[in-house]
Amino acid sequence: MAKLPSPKDLLASRPDFPAESWLDTKPEFAPGSYCYPEKKETMELLHMPNPHDWDPSAEDWNLPDDWEKILCDAFADRLAKHRSLKLFMDICVRCGACADKCHFFLGTNDPKNMPVLRAELLRSLYRRDYTKLGKILGKKVGARGWDKNVVKELFYYAYQCTECRRCSLFCPYGIDTAEITAIVRELMHEVGLGTHWIMDPVKNCSFTGNHLGIKPHSFKEIVEMLADDCETVTGIRPKTPFNEKGHEILFITPSGDVFADPGIYTFMGYLLLFHELDLDYTLSTYASEGGNFGSFTTFNMAKKLNAKMYAEAERLGSKWILGGECGHMWRVVNQYMATYNGPSPSHMTVPKSPITGTVFKNAAATKMVHITEFTADLIRHGKLNLDPSRNDHIITTFHDSCNPARAMGLLEEPRYILKHVCNHFVEMPENTIREQTFCCGAGSGLNTEEIMELRMRSGMPRGNALRYVQQKYGVNHMACVCAIDRATLPPLANYWAPGVNVSGLHELVANALVMKGEPKRTMDLRQEDLPGVEDDAEGGEDQ
Amino acid sequence: MKLTKCLEEHRDELLTSWVEAVFQSYPKKAAPFLHNNPDPFTNPVASMVREAAAALLKALEGEDVAIETVKDALDRFIKIRAVQDFTPSQAMGVIYLLKPLLRKIVLPTATKGSALKEYLELESRVDTLALLSFDMYVKDRDTVAEIRIKEIRSQYSQLKRWAQQLNAQAPLGEFVGCGNQTCGNE
Repeated sequence: MAKLPSPKDLLASRPDFPAESWLDTKPEFAPGSYCYPEKKETMELLHMPNPHDWDPSAEDWNLPDDWEKILCDAFADRLAKHRSLKLFMDICVRCGACADKCHFFLGTNDPKNMPVLRAELLRSLYRRDYTKLGKILGKKVGARGWDKNVVKELFYYAYQCTECRRCSLFCPYGIDTAEITAIVRELMHEVGLGTHWIMDPVKNCSFTGNHLGIKPHSFKEIVEMLADDCETVTGIRPKTPFNEKGHEILFITPSGDVFADPGIYTFMGYLLLFHELDLDYTLSTYASEGGNFGSFTTFNMAKKLNAKMYAEAERLGSKWILGGECGHMWRVVNQYMATYNGPSPSHMTVPKSPITGTVFKNAAATKMVHITEFTADLIRHGKLNLDPSRNDHIITTFHDSCNPARAMGLLEEPRYILKHVCNHFVEMPENTIREQTFCCGAGSGLNTEEIMELRMRSGMPRGNALRYVQQKYGVNHMACVCAIDRATLPPLANYWAPGVNVSGLHELVANALVMKGEPKRTMDLRQEDLPGVEDDAEGGEDQ
Repeated sequence: MKLTKCLEEHRDELLTSWVEAVFQSYPKKAAPFLHNNPDPFTNPVASMVREAAAALLKALEGEDVAIETVKDALDRFIKIRAVQDFTPSQAMGVIYLLKPLLRKIVLPTATKGSALKEYLELESRVDTLALLSFDMYVKDRDTVAEIRIKEIRSQYSQLKRWAQQLNAQAPLGEFVGCGNQTCGNE
């Protein structure tokens, strides 16, 4: 007869937990902690290497027979191709400055989610094959060889990193852990390991333009439906130009904002703003996804999907591209686009606002301007008639999305706009915003519902800071400039700070925008009463 | 009453020991980080554990305890335990780690002062706190399930609306990408 374990035994609450060293501790693929695998057919359609059926929770992942050679060769190839990767493998002194900067580590307390240890998973393999000490002393100096459990471990932790680069901010050597994660994901794809939530949108973007694979005419119809909603709210139906040649500007934004709540209200905000400005622009059904799902898989896939932007600008003859509120789109544009697909088509010109005459010299190379740069410039020049009191029921804070903040330094423009369209703005604690912003916990293709538990713990540092300003200052709204944030922050807020709404910035802009010739606005873009409307109604006006 | 004084005297020791016991439910390599940084935003788990510890001890003293106040103070702690990589017993069992501490630190005083009844009441309060926490834990798990469903709906909200607007005769065969049965005509 065995004795019942004590609560302490059940909890494994002891100072030597776990008993094994970090190299010997293996992850458990428990439901809620891993993304579903991609279908073999999708991988085949995309000509990805070694497509096969597999299940992350199974013992055998059905790797190709020569999996070790494939991975060793692929790693050698990446080391030769990316000088930065070799540098990142060599120069880390394991000082630990990054260790507690990762939201995954803070939320999971799993040591392998310290960026330094996550990188060590790959570095230990590098050490065995590329350093003398590693070759001779092996495990004593933290070197190890490939085995199937190592592959599982790499997969597990490569999808517990959102490539947010908060750790890089604190690294004295500037090691970009996001690029290490990106390389590990590339290696995994070499042996046919990808996730459904990423590869399915990649397939859809490849074949039809947007991430859900909605065909062009239907995509256009949905946008027109949103324009109808704009008319319901404002009495003005904005134009919805699609695939039209000869316009000055091509507007590209994440397609999520056409399909998903609450992103659609941000999209409606764009339509209304452009209509008010009578902007010479067109949308595109071909380049209808600003977000680059390829960047979550391989550099080549990112390049392929990114190519659509310049190709469409060239086909339509647009002089420059205005980009919507998106996160990783802007990292790709600012850090990789020139190498992938640059230089921009020769007919494109340095972006110049047709309304204010401002030349966006910062976009001279990419020819792409972020919408908040564009709108902040409009406000600076007094080109918009704004009534911020329409947002008076909102006490808002601002979530700096990782990529715009850390990959393009977009810190002031969104705040400048927010302060002009809302009367009540409160910052979250300073070590959780701007360059030090905490990720939503589900970027880089992790915003899939099967890992909701994981997202709630990895997003906890952001949720915790939000909860603080909610309780201390009565914050009931969080604005952001990223479509993934608009999808991931509502559940996060629902869990950690229930009662806080999430929206894009241009939803608030359009709510405050007093348009020429519009009848008195009684509701916001969500068709909810504006503040003070009830009082008016009591005065005899019926809704 | 005898034990209230004892609890007050040993408050810091109980608090530190329980916080330590909770920290030890995390991997040892994570422990130094939990200990070292007092900032509530860059070391949130430690902050949540300490907030919960203070609330639990106050409740154990057994006087003037409003359940809602205790629940508010435990909320963040239970929320994080509910979504971390624990079984339900591991997540919530930490409340019971108060018992061995009380037996070590408070029971000797109770035995000496013939206050065993009072001591048993004290331990029963641990049970009450564990049960309250369990309710909160289940509510949090339910919330995770609800937001999962809500997210699926939000992702496709406009697609569904668009599909519902289609004319009954419109060919749906060309409609790609939504395996959702609600995408049919209505």
